[in-house]
Amino acid sequence: MHEQFKQVGRDLFLQNAVSSHGGNISVRVGDRIHITRRGSMIHNLTENDIIETGLNEDDSGIALASTELKVHRGIYKSTTATAIVHAHPVNAIALSLDQDVIVPLDSEASYVLHKIPVLSAEHTIGSEEVMNIVSDALKNYKIVMLRGHGSFAIGNMLEEAYQWTSELEVAAQIINIVRSAGINVQEYRKDSDKYEQW
Amino acid sequence: MYGWMGKVIRINLNDNKVSTEKLDENLAKEYIGGRGFGSKTLFDEVPVDVDPLGPENKLIFAVGPLTRTKVPTSGRFSVSTKSPLTNTIFDSNAGGFWGPVFKSAGYDMLIIEGRAEKPVQITINENIISINDGSKLWGKGIKETDQLLKESLGKGYQNMMIGPAGENLVKISIISVNAHRAFGRGGVGAVMGSKNVKSISVKGSKQPEIFDQEKFDFMIYETDKWIKANPLTSKAFPAFGTSVLVNLINEAGALPTRNFQQTYFEDADKISGETIANKILVKNDACYNCPLRCSRKTKTNKMEGFGPEYETIGLMGSNLGISDIEAIAEMHYISNDLGIDTISLGGTISCLMEMSEKGLIDYKIDFGDIDKTKELIYQISKREGIGDELAEGSKRFSEKYGAVQYSMQVKGLELPSYDPRGMKGRGLGYATSNRGACHLRGYMIGPEILGVPKMLDRFNPVGKSGFLINQQDFFVVVDSLAVCKFVTFAVGEEFFARLFSTVTGVEKSQQDFLDIGEKVWTMEKLYNLKAGFSKNEDQLPKRFLEEPGTGPAAGQVFEQDIMLSEYYRSRGWDENGIPTNDKLKELGLEGIDYHA
Repeated sequence: MHEQFKQVGRDLFLQNAVSSHGGNISVRVGDRIHITRRGSMIHNLTENDIIETGLNEDDSGIALASTELKVHRGIYKSTTATAIVHAHPVNAIALSLDQDVIVPLDSEASYVLHKIPVLSAEHTIGSEEVMNIVSDALKNYKIVMLRGHGSFAIGNMLEEAYQWTSELEVAAQIINIVRSAGINVQEYRKDSDKYEQW
Repeated sequence: MYGWMGKVIRINLNDNKVSTEKLDENLAKEYIGGRGFGSKTLFDEVPVDVDPLGPENKLIFAVGPLTRTKVPTSGRFSVSTKSPLTNTIFDSNAGGFWGPVFKSAGYDMLIIEGRAEKPVQITINENIISINDGSKLWGKGIKETDQLLKESLGKGYQNMMIGPAGENLVKISIISVNAHRAFGRGGVGAVMGSKNVKSISVKGSKQPEIFDQEKFDFMIYETDKWIKANPLTSKAFPAFGTSVLVNLINEAGALPTRNFQQTYFEDADKISGETIANKILVKNDACYNCPLRCSRKTKTNKMEGFGPEYETIGLMGSNLGISDIEAIAEMHYISNDLGIDTISLGGTISCLMEMSEKGLIDYKIDFGDIDKTKELIYQISKREGIGDELAEGSKRFSEKYGAVQYSMQVKGLELPSYDPRGMKGRGLGYATSNRGACHLRGYMIGPEILGVPKMLDRFNPVGKSGFLINQQDFFVVVDSLAVCKFVTFAVGEEFFARLFSTVTGVEKSQQDFLDIGEKVWTMEKLYNLKAGFSKNEDQLPKRFLEEPGTGPAAGQVFEQDIMLSEYYRSRGWDENGIPTNDKLKELGLEGIDYHA
């Protein structure tokens, strides 16, 4: 398990999807959660940086677990996901500041994600409000953005949740390039106007 | 109603009473169709202590809201009953054209009750439903029956029937659909035979209404895109059919060989999909609205027919020590015509072969003996000689000789063609399946062999329970919609939730679907618990726990205790595999008496 955490944490950092100590990742096994330690250096996770605690019940692990444990717990209770990646992807955060939904322009993210809802909360870190809106949205999407804060992605394994995160950030980067360069997009996808309905 | 036709047929053969009922809208919204309808109806209407071959048992055929639509592979349908082989709640799923045409006749479900005095043949032509004398068809093989029905009924009918094995209550018999697709497992053919029903034919011209046609067309476009882009659904299955798996599974050390004594077959190349394509393939064929076209029309020097599928190749080939692809194909044609499940057949004959090898029975047969195997297939279908004992399946057969350790089964259902020592998640799926050892209750071949959706270490016993559970629950929904599981290589639950909503107008999220799947799975579990099944039946044969695999799986055993314990916890069940009260409450199943 440590190897998976270490690999995903490192790759998130290399993709500019988290800062040195940002983001958090977890997996669920039954009624137990394995989650990154609060304040851990995500691109260099050690075995001690992976904290085990309960899905429903608190134990001493909560003193060490990520600040976002509450949100992770909420997602696991509302969905059948067995892995979560929460990241701070730079381009996607920038886009989330003025969009209610991110619709990719590139082919791959269009295929895989279609659209990414952008959610808004007053208290963006570790709050019950975030837990509720993110958990609810992830019942129908594999990744969502929290405005100004970051992404939450779910999967059956860490690699899956990481893939959605990575796809989102690349898609957002492309959109930002297109916007900043003022490129006039020639639509190549049939029914792309329906992606917002996804 | 959109998506559903809104009508159910109920036929009671005790008094030849035919009635139609309105489909319960709540049943439709909560259980979707297909397997969901079947499991719920069986749970409510068939007590756990009925004799599976008695008139109190029921046969419940059901299509789903996506059946007979433009959704690719939407020609599937299901049958649910109490199995005479396993004594568990049971459903089986088939392709072909019968299901879509049944829906075109205007129905979602057909419930058959009681027992006819004499053999009957049922026809459904929209509002005209008749129970006819089937005596002239009784005793005929499946191909001939299908031909005779086509001649007597005329154009437009699709036929479903049993062969001599079903008539003779062989507990590993099938119900054949269109003469070459099948409800294969659990002895469902014997249940139809016990009711004296030889065949059921349908005709119709109606179509289900779509709630949001424009969005549905968009969804179909998106689904087609993925099917065309995915190498499995666009290339591998069309090119080689299911037998594309032979070499892949063998190289993983998971191809059952000589009654699962080995996990690697030295002659796999001779029975592979590539060999079929080179030696006996005539052309591809497909079920209703299926772009995958995995079915194979084939021809040997002496015979012709459809198949063999991967499962037959494994169980009737490597598992019997047979490497002659023409012989395997011919045994497949014969079994199909007599109406026998080739998975259980191979598992039962390989059990006999090993018992013979070890001198535990007077009957002499060696691994690799093609002639005697062919002879046994006929004997089983007629229940003649030792065939009468083998017709009970490998568990009952071997128990009679005090040799149940040589029966490779779970809950009485013989293992499919994947050895759990080479694929640990697959083994967990066998152990926990509600209908016994089944490869389609969670398809761990995806993550453990094919890398779908991602590659998992196939030998690792830890951390797979959550993945398997999601697959098990999702496949309840796939069986209920009802579409082919192969299409899930290309598109997942989010597609199906959106397709469902656009077709029916009933909004469901992908998580709603998984919740429905969990509820049905748990309900099936409760039925089995009440029928007396316990943790003791969630067990693989000791061979897999004690005897290491060979070839690429050398040294591997199945770590059952670790995996089962994690699975139960992940399901929210106690250490004995019983759903907790909290879990039952969460699923809306509280208050159900499940104690045996």
